[in-house]
Amino acid sequence: MLQDDATAHPFEFHGRGGEYFRIWIVNLALSIITLGIFSAWAKVRTKRYFNGSTFVAGHNFDYHASGYRILIGRVIALTLLLGYQLSVVFFKPLVLVWVIVGLFVVPWLIISSIRFNARNTSYRNVRFNFSAADMEAFVAYIVWPIVGFCTFGLLWPLAQQKKDYFYVNNHNYGGRYFEANFSVWRMYTIFAIALGLMIVFLVVIVAILVPLVPLILHKGNAGVAAAGHLLGLIFVVPFYIAMGMIAPLIHTMIVNLVTSATVFDEKHRLQSTMSPFMMAWIMVSNALLTIITLGLFYPWAKVRAARYQLEHTTLFITGDAESYVSEVFETQSAVGEEIGSFFSFDFGL
Amino acid sequence: MITGRYFFPNSARTVAARAEKTASQLRIEAFDGALLAEAPFATVKITARLASLPRRLLLPDGGCFETPDNDGVDAMIGMARHLIGGGWMDRVERSWRAVVISIVLAAAAGAAFGIWGLPWAARSLAASTPEWLANSISEHALQTFDKNYLLASHLDGAQQQRAQSLFDRVVTAGGCGTHHCTLLFRRGGILIQANAFALPDGEIVLTDQLTDLVKADDELEGVFAHEMGHVVYAHALQRVYQASLLPAAIAVVTGDVSQVSQIAVLLPGILIQSAYSRGFENQADLYAITTLRRMRARPAAMADLLERLEKTHCGAGSCGPSWIGDHPDTASRAKLMRGAH
Repeated sequence: MLQDDATAHPFEFHGRGGEYFRIWIVNLALSIITLGIFSAWAKVRTKRYFNGSTFVAGHNFDYHASGYRILIGRVIALTLLLGYQLSVVFFKPLVLVWVIVGLFVVPWLIISSIRFNARNTSYRNVRFNFSAADMEAFVAYIVWPIVGFCTFGLLWPLAQQKKDYFYVNNHNYGGRYFEANFSVWRMYTIFAIALGLMIVFLVVIVAILVPLVPLILHKGNAGVAAAGHLLGLIFVVPFYIAMGMIAPLIHTMIVNLVTSATVFDEKHRLQSTMSPFMMAWIMVSNALLTIITLGLFYPWAKVRAARYQLEHTTLFITGDAESYVSEVFETQSAVGEEIGSFFSFDFGL
Repeated sequence: MITGRYFFPNSARTVAARAEKTASQLRIEAFDGALLAEAPFATVKITARLASLPRRLLLPDGGCFETPDNDGVDAMIGMARHLIGGGWMDRVERSWRAVVISIVLAAAAGAAFGIWGLPWAARSLAASTPEWLANSISEHALQTFDKNYLLASHLDGAQQQRAQSLFDRVVTAGGCGTHHCTLLFRRGGILIQANAFALPDGEIVLTDQLTDLVKADDELEGVFAHEMGHVVYAHALQRVYQASLLPAAIAVVTGDVSQVSQIAVLLPGILIQSAYSRGFENQADLYAITTLRRMRARPAAMADLLERLEKTHCGAGSCGPSWIGDHPDTASRAKLMRGAH
């Protein structure tokens, strides 16, 4: 049970935009020269930089993947995608076969990717792990979304909850499990807020459009053309900004909810207190600055988003942290590790 | 001697420690001198240097020595550091010269891809697209247009026949090359006014509103010759390939499909696409001029129609800056056509 003697350990992010810029641009150039092959190793360096810059309770995280395995994962994913595309073009009935195969392959790909990332992430010399049955992924990623879709979104928050449970509750660190537990009504609240925001957005658009109606009616052809141009601007620009805002808003609220509902080893608790509006602003302004600087701002954008998220995440450790971690051991046997990692690749999911 | 902390084998338990290389052994001891671990140096894995992150020396038994002293570790590795885990990457990332070269290279590669690579790829893919695929794309596109943006034509039989005979004249003059061009009549909905456009399989759609604007036969011939130019160069297919290759290429090279990169690519993507589109229009104009000359028609008639079109669409002023539009500005197009006698 959670006890009151928990001490707060805020996460810290020590990464700097200027430092990451050098890593990013050099790796980008090498990826271009090698026609994308090096990007697998570039990904390792990037993940190592971000994991390594993340500190909690005086220790940082690490990332151990080999670029070679990421490359294999990408080749497999690309082959599947290409096979699908080719059969769409050359033999349509085969698409049905692909859909059926996909239903079963996709859950495996998802588990494999999550497991790959967990196994290659460590904290204090001990690795994370992810263990889930293929069936669970099938239910969480295929069945529930279909149910959510078929009920016209009514059960979508429930599907989201199942997906989050699948992700969190199958993760462990040193053999001790994470567990997320929250009322599904809180997820419904988030989706209700999102729906409300979209309605407000539509009302504003209509309010702007109504004055244009007389223009269309009175000016004939030229009026229609002028209104068409205005419509384009009025719809397209705010549409992208609003979509760019609403997606991170929902995402941030979900991350807050799930993180704060997560308990580790039944006694340590996580908390996330990001402001959804601040995060949405960071995402939108990051995208705009990246466009204006022709992409050069990108490393600062990534560092800025990571810093905001981590500086609003806290780990509450019950009891004495040092004496607790002394009991945490690597539980993966060397053989299990080899077999496990042989069957896991990063597919970028 | 470097200082840091030691993690016991496969454990999160840690003590302050120091490490030293003696002959071929790595020796890790507590500050009171007690031996914590010892292993042949050749069996120790050392993580590659990366920015100012702490370094880890991984022992074969699952123990680990961690230190912020990157230079100390490099000195300990000595000559071997080229060989152990990507030390060269760190030196490249640290060098200002490499950073500057990388920026120039990335910018040059991006520009070259946009100017030559992507158009070339789209052109060769469009050229090798089988006919049945082009037909199926066209059929699908026409269905979508008919459903959302187009209505049945109001033109009477005589008007349609006149347009058809002009169309046939351009085809006879070789306007459609070896392709099979057909003319379709539609009335434009609210979003498509006076317009004509070509589908990949050679179907050319003419809206009633454009027919209403036409004052002379060779104006309409100009429109047909221009659209046939789009058919001959397979511009519609090239557009399809350009739109799907650009995001795919960015994802492959950067290995990043995150939200930030998707949004950031959106607007430049639109600008690049409209630049390609202006290139296509220019190519179709030049093609139309050649065809019209061969038929002894007046390319300048097309200029008259374009100017009339712009006046109806955008009033007295012009339609906005050409660098966002998907057509070159009317004044320069008209100049091109009038200069072509």
